[in-house]
Amino acid sequence: MQKLGDFKLPHFFNYPPYFTLQPVRDTREKQVQLWKDLILDYCRTQKIFVIGLEEDFALFSNPVIERSLSHEAREAFLSALVSEGRAEWLDKGHRKCLILWHRVQDWADIIFRFVKDNGLEDSVMTVEEIRSGIESRGTELHGIDRTILMRALRVLEQKGKLAIFKGTSADDEGVKFSM
Amino acid sequence: MRRRPGIGGLQTAAAARDQYRLVGENVAKIRTDMMKEQLATFRTQLEEFARKHKNDIRKNPAFRSQFHEMCAKVGVDPLASNKGFWAELLGIGDFYYELGVQIVEICLATRPHNGGLINLQELCILLRQRKSDREAVSEDDCLRAISKLKVLGSGFEVISVGKKKLVRSVPTELNKDHNEILELAQAQGFVTVEEVERRLSWTSGRAIDALDTLLDEGLAMIDDGHRDRKRRYWFPCVSSNSTPVADT
Repeated sequence: MQKLGDFKLPHFFNYPPYFTLQPVRDTREKQVQLWKDLILDYCRTQKIFVIGLEEDFALFSNPVIERSLSHEAREAFLSALVSEGRAEWLDKGHRKCLILWHRVQDWADIIFRFVKDNGLEDSVMTVEEIRSGIESRGTELHGIDRTILMRALRVLEQKGKLAIFKGTSADDEGVKFSM
Repeated sequence: MRRRPGIGGLQTAAAARDQYRLVGENVAKIRTDMMKEQLATFRTQLEEFARKHKNDIRKNPAFRSQFHEMCAKVGVDPLASNKGFWAELLGIGDFYYELGVQIVEICLATRPHNGGLINLQELCILLRQRKSDREAVSEDDCLRAISKLKVLGSGFEVISVGKKKLVRSVPTELNKDHNEILELAQAQGFVTVEEVERRLSWTSGRAIDALDTLLDEGLAMIDDGHRDRKRRYWFPCVSSNSTPVADT
């Protein structure tokens, strides 16, 4: 089986027609489903949070069979993820896409468990510490995209589990947990 | 018997005919009786054989196939009834029943990809992946299981295209034009419009019509990505996509 680094690629990735948007509805649906699952899987294992449509994203082309996804195809598959709530366009031109291989609510749950596991129920941390501090090492939170992290924190804030406040400098937001 | 003229002669001839007929019927009856006896003996011996070689029949596809042929010659169908002597003795009914169920499952699962036509070889490969290795599955086994499915009216059929056998699990009827395209596609897994026109000596219209139908039925997929810019029509049912496809 072909691999991309450690990642095992599914069979369809080596079948040329899957790189062309199919005109027949049922065939297209199957195609879109396969690509959606692949994109989510890959992003999750490689911890990729943003895909740039015009950039060299590994899944967009397969040099072994000399095929690449057209811009239209890329947009079609990512739009399908957006419709399902598993992704979001970061710009109106649909050039950058935020991938939610964990939904925002899932991230909120992960943060909640993280706080409990580390006994941080009543402490204060900066946003940056949450995603790159010592406690985050080895957890899914390590290296999380800031936009997604802020969304998840706001979900928890709405539930009264924490409070977000601005720090002393512009990019140094802080969080006071009260779980 | 000498023929005698007159009414007497006619009566003698009639009597002679009757005699012959009686003898004839007798002979026929004796022959039939003999045959019945032979068959009965044959069947008993077959049952003995089946009992003795039960394990071999279950485990060895080649042996199993020959066993079926022997049964067919004697007019015995071990699969005819799931509750009959044979089924109980050999448990073969279950084997083919299970196989049939798995075949249906695989055909349904792969239908979105291949449109309801699957290569018999590929089907067997997928079946072997599912079964435990205790019981090997041959193409012959698949064909028998499928013929049983047919009897149930489930719309399954095996069709020949060129050198390959394809299992059809949808009501789509393939006409001769479609068949020829599939046969052509077996070489590389795909065809181009130009190739169809050239190799089959068709008009462009005829080629495109047939290809479009196959596309609509979900039996073909288009590929516009080759550097030569020619559209290719790929047929999942003639290529196994377990192996990467190289195409220059």
